[in-house]
Amino acid sequence: MLAHQPVILNIIFACYLAALPCYLLHFFRHKRGWRVLAVSAMLTGFALQSALLAARWLEAGYLPVTNLFSTQYFFSWALVLTYLYFDVRYRVGSSGLFVVVINLLLLGSVLQRDPEIPILIPSLDTPLFTIHIICSFTGYAMFAMAFTLGVIYLINRYIPNKRLPDPVVLRKLNEEAIFLGFILFSICMIAGCIWAYIAWGFYFSWEIKSLWSFIVWLFYAGMCHAKFIRRWQGTGYAWLSLLGFGVVLFTYLGIGLLLESSHPLE
Amino acid sequence: MNRLTVSQRLWRLCCSLKLAIVLASAATLFAIGGSLTIHFHPRIYGNLDTTPLAQWLLAASRDHAGEIWWLWVTGVLFLLFGLNTLCCFVDWLIHINLRWRKLGEYLIHLGFVLFVGAFFWGSLAGTRTDGVRLFVGALTPVPGNPGTYLRLDHFEPVMSDNGRPLDMINQLTLLRGESVLAETVAKINHPLIYKDLVVTVMSFGQSAKGFQVLIPNLGMVELVPGQHLRLPGGGRLEVLEFLPDAVRHRNQWTARSERLVDPVFRLRLTRPGLEPWEGWYPLREEIPFPLIQAGVRIWPKQPLFANYSLVRANRDPGAGVALAGGICLLIGSLIALGSFYRKRSRGDRPEIV
Ligand code: HEM
Repeated sequence: MLAHQPVILNIIFACYLAALPCYLLHFFRHKRGWRVLAVSAMLTGFALQSALLAARWLEAGYLPVTNLFSTQYFFSWALVLTYLYFDVRYRVGSSGLFVVVINLLLLGSVLQRDPEIPILIPSLDTPLFTIHIICSFTGYAMFAMAFTLGVIYLINRYIPNKRLPDPVVLRKLNEEAIFLGFILFSICMIAGCIWAYIAWGFYFSWEIKSLWSFIVWLFYAGMCHAKFIRRWQGTGYAWLSLLGFGVVLFTYLGIGLLLESSHPLE
Repeated sequence: MNRLTVSQRLWRLCCSLKLAIVLASAATLFAIGGSLTIHFHPRIYGNLDTTPLAQWLLAASRDHAGEIWWLWVTGVLFLLFGLNTLCCFVDWLIHINLRWRKLGEYLIHLGFVLFVGAFFWGSLAGTRTDGVRLFVGALTPVPGNPGTYLRLDHFEPVMSDNGRPLDMINQLTLLRGESVLAETVAKINHPLIYKDLVVTVMSFGQSAKGFQVLIPNLGMVELVPGQHLRLPGGGRLEVLEFLPDAVRHRNQWTARSERLVDPVFRLRLTRPGLEPWEGWYPLREEIPFPLIQAGVRIWPKQPLFANYSLVRANRDPGAGVALAGGICLLIGSLIALGSFYRKRSRGDRPEIV
């Protein structure tokens, strides 16, 4: 399988790309067939992407998330997993398409990169690293989903549209995405703190990326409470999901691009 | 409706979710602003990770009060937020028979309280020391832990094919007096941990420890501190000290740097029936007269180097509590996850304030 990685990557990309118009056609035409096609394309792409991830993991002997290619590949996988969870379980369909678009951008940008698996340096050779990375990317993917649901909620609020899901459903799904993201990100932070302690001798670092990860965590802990306050329910919550994703994007991309950090790959 | 007493109202405020959101938002905003200052003032904040926070704050407040005030404010906000969360948790405990279903959520709160408490404790009472040098076989006092020593029994750097250092294998023993407290093979991600002390490996290096010299009648010998040479005719030459780079102040030499620039030996010469001589021998100058008198000629041939391992020795009395907090948070998260779906399937909505 690994010998054909570039071809498989292109097929995965094509599956996700094909799902996009099918979802849009289902949104406008409301024919069941388009939805079946869209979900099938997504599931095929995801099955292939998971198989390739598993093959790379087996080949390397560790979860390969130690260079730009593999982190983007893994993040893309986490985004699709999140999307499929919400779509298969709650039929969010085109309301979650923004996640599919980010995924296409991510996957599209790795198609030209070298998929070779790098050797594992001893500082990354710990299960804490694997847990840290898995939970951080799946957490980020949940926050991206919450962002999408927040955007759709606001569109529905300001430009009501019968085709869009009911605002109460959107609100509940948004709260769920935030809660799941917070739980995953908490596990990511715990693993990161223990790892920092055994590697550096302290569990909290003032290094900018670590500090911003803590800020992300605190922000979403706050959001887990905002839903209990009447004034913040619904619209306020949707705006907070947008703001939160801005903080996530700055932590994931902004720091790497604008400032230097000792976490260049996450 | 019953009127609340002042203390009841105060308790409500302490447990208030709205207060929590205000405190958390303010702390987050200060942390966001401050983190950018950290990035743009590396000279001020460069050693923030290598010094316990309280010590750092006191030292930095003397010279940079205008730049670091935000850290004081953020610290106070976090402390208040931690206390607020603690009150919220205690309030839950008081009403546990009515609210036991929230076990997961409140374990998360307890975890956070423990974490914040541990962080403040470690920041006040911990010690941090970077760059402790350990030479194979030597006993090195552990900074911040009077009476304890680290002994490096074996050291081996691990290099990649292209010569890049990958790891460092340190067979380490922690001792108090003669008794062994802990022994481990420390390497990257495998520290030596004993109670609140954690020793992590950082790097390694080489330092000049002496010289290989040619002494007529004795041949090639190693001049390193601790070495005793028997001279023909019954005398003894002892190496007391070696400084790889030293400067002279009057007749005394003091160390200037670790690099091999102006090497100097301190020697002691004893000969039967004569007063012992003790003095300095700078390798770039003439051999001291008493040595010439004793017929000792020394031709330095090449420097001798010793490998050392560089470790960090931190003491954090709060680390165990922080771990307990992490475990509470983890267990709480898993329980909360389960109960989230169970409650939702029952249509159980929490109280809205
Ligand atoms: C400062 C004081 C705090 C107060 C007063 C507070 C209060 C509350 C309350 C009343 C709930 C609702 C429980 C329910 O009825 O379902 C709750 C839930 C929760 N809290 Fe806090 N909290 C505080 C701090 C924190 C912190 C620091 C964290 C993060 C570590 C946190 C994480 C959570 C989580 C994850 C939930 C569950 C949310 C959900 O069910 O979706 N809380 N909190």
